Amino acid sequence: MASLNTFGAILTYAANLETALRDYYQQVGDSERSKAADKRRQTMERIRREAVVEITLEPIEGLNEADYELALSDTSASGQQAVEATAARFYADVAPKINVRQAQRALERAGKEHQELAG
Amino acid sequence: MVKRLKNYIGGEWVEASTDNYIPVLNPATCEVLAECPDSTYADVDQAVQAATAAFEEWRSTPVLSRAQYMHHFKNLVEERFEDIARTVVEENGKTLDEARGEVRRGIESIDFGIGVPLLMRNDGVEDISSGIDETTVRQPVGVFAAITPFNFPAMVPLWFLPTAITCGNTFIVKPSPQTPISMDLLFELLDELDLPEGVVNLVHGGIESADAILKHPGIAGISFVGSSPVAKKVYEVGTAHGKRVQAQGGAKNYIAVMPDANMEASVRNILGAAYGCAGQRCLAAAVAVGVGDAYDKLRDELVKQVANLRVGYGLDETTQMGTVVSQQAKERIENMIQKGLDEGASVVVDGRGYSVDGYENGTFVGPTIIENVTPDMTVAKEEIFGPVLALMRADDFDEAVDIINRSKCGNAASIFTSSGKYAREFKYRVKAGNIGVNIGVAAPSASFPFGGQKDSFFGDLHGQGADAIDFYTDRKIVIERWL
Repeated sequence: MASLNTFGAILTYAANLETALRDYYQQVGDSERSKAADKRRQTMERIRREAVVEITLEPIEGLNEADYELALSDTSASGQQAVEATAARFYADVAPKINVRQAQRALERAGKEHQELAG
Repeated sequence: MVKRLKNYIGGEWVEASTDNYIPVLNPATCEVLAECPDSTYADVDQAVQAATAAFEEWRSTPVLSRAQYMHHFKNLVEERFEDIARTVVEENGKTLDEARGEVRRGIESIDFGIGVPLLMRNDGVEDISSGIDETTVRQPVGVFAAITPFNFPAMVPLWFLPTAITCGNTFIVKPSPQTPISMDLLFELLDELDLPEGVVNLVHGGIESADAILKHPGIAGISFVGSSPVAKKVYEVGTAHGKRVQAQGGAKNYIAVMPDANMEASVRNILGAAYGCAGQRCLAAAVAVGVGDAYDKLRDELVKQVANLRVGYGLDETTQMGTVVSQQAKERIENMIQKGLDEGASVVVDGRGYSVDGYENGTFVGPTIIENVTPDMTVAKEEIFGPVLALMRADDFDEAVDIINRSKCGNAASIFTSSGKYAREFKYRVKAGNIGVNIGVAAPSASFPFGGQKDSFFGDLHGQGADAIDFYTDRKIVIERWL
């Protein structure tokens, strides 16, 4: 699995993660959560476009996709909590590595939302 | 079937009057992406005629309406953001993040163009004499042209076009024939705006079309970005033909690293400055001067961090450094490294002969560090325009400033320090147009002029910022009395 070593790689992973959650919640019939995930996906794509400036293009170390794989086959309540906990951990880990405040804020907010859903 | 690019003249896509087409290659894969026409004097003349015909109507279009076109243009660029960024990667070889950053910078310039109604305002004084008022008005000048380089194929034309046309001028862009597709795509978006025919024009080509732009009597001014020798020639020929010219040239950007710098964080930033866009930017860090004790720490930290840089195809988002633009560029860069070694430098990290699995034909040059470099060596004086960082020693701050100021170029210089005193002295004494303090790439945003001194700039008014408004307008002084 490729490592999350650039600004774009992290934001793309975040957008893909939210896409997966959007589909996951659609599958379990929770339209509210599905809609919220899609909104976060849009935010991540917007941040990827808008916050990419030279200063963000420093190498980023220590983050790997493999550490944040979502167990999407489990749609039970506890499964959903586990998925949200993984997403929250991802955002908590990546936010401090991004040196643009606008992007950091978006990642922190997404992390907080996932943390609340994780219980 | 490979796409044959057309010129965009008078609101239509038209074939160039040439049989010569230049293949546009993806430098990572060697795939032919398109064929670029080598347009002739006749093509440039056709564009000038169209731009001239459009000028009077366009200049009388209210400035707020002109700015509205830029609002729409910005929205279209935002919608196609990823497509444009990917096109930049494919034809230039840089990474996707770098390409996204380039497009974002281009959008900042469109934003600046949207602000032209505010920036074109001028001043006046009532009763400058008894019953006499004196005011200044800005007026557009006529037809402008931009000759732009391969290294920022989307961004650099956008430094110029939005401001020039929102000021009321008409415009011709001649992008680099090595990377013309990004501009082709941006002109597809400009075409959607339904601007009056002839306000914006695109002429693809190489030397003949550039020469035609420099000499054509119908062109009032030229914005140029490229190497210093060519910038000098553009300035000389353009001004000799009665044009106003802003010609941004090459660079040899120095970075001074003081012993009190935060070395780990500084080097992380210096890596981006030296190896971002594979060193092919006019703000790239070319020489790092370690002052006193800083030298060994700088060298060791650089070697440590550069080992982790991932070189590869730009469309792979884990890639941190892409290719250089062409095989010719790769050979030139590798020859420059060898020249440095022949003159007595030594290689610490050697990027020559670099190969990436799956892209064996790609024009990769790995990140390179050379040391024992002295100011008289070619690698300290000439622009390499590749991922090569030369290391030099200075005993103290004064010697570092002296080394930097000996450079014939003066595009940018940076200092890494935690001392306000050294930072202030650096800003004050170093002869360069863009100064970074703990920033390796001192890139001015669109609302500031893009500095440049010595052989890095030929002209009076720089690109971007307030200089751009002055460059693209004439000021008329009105002194009036009513009897």
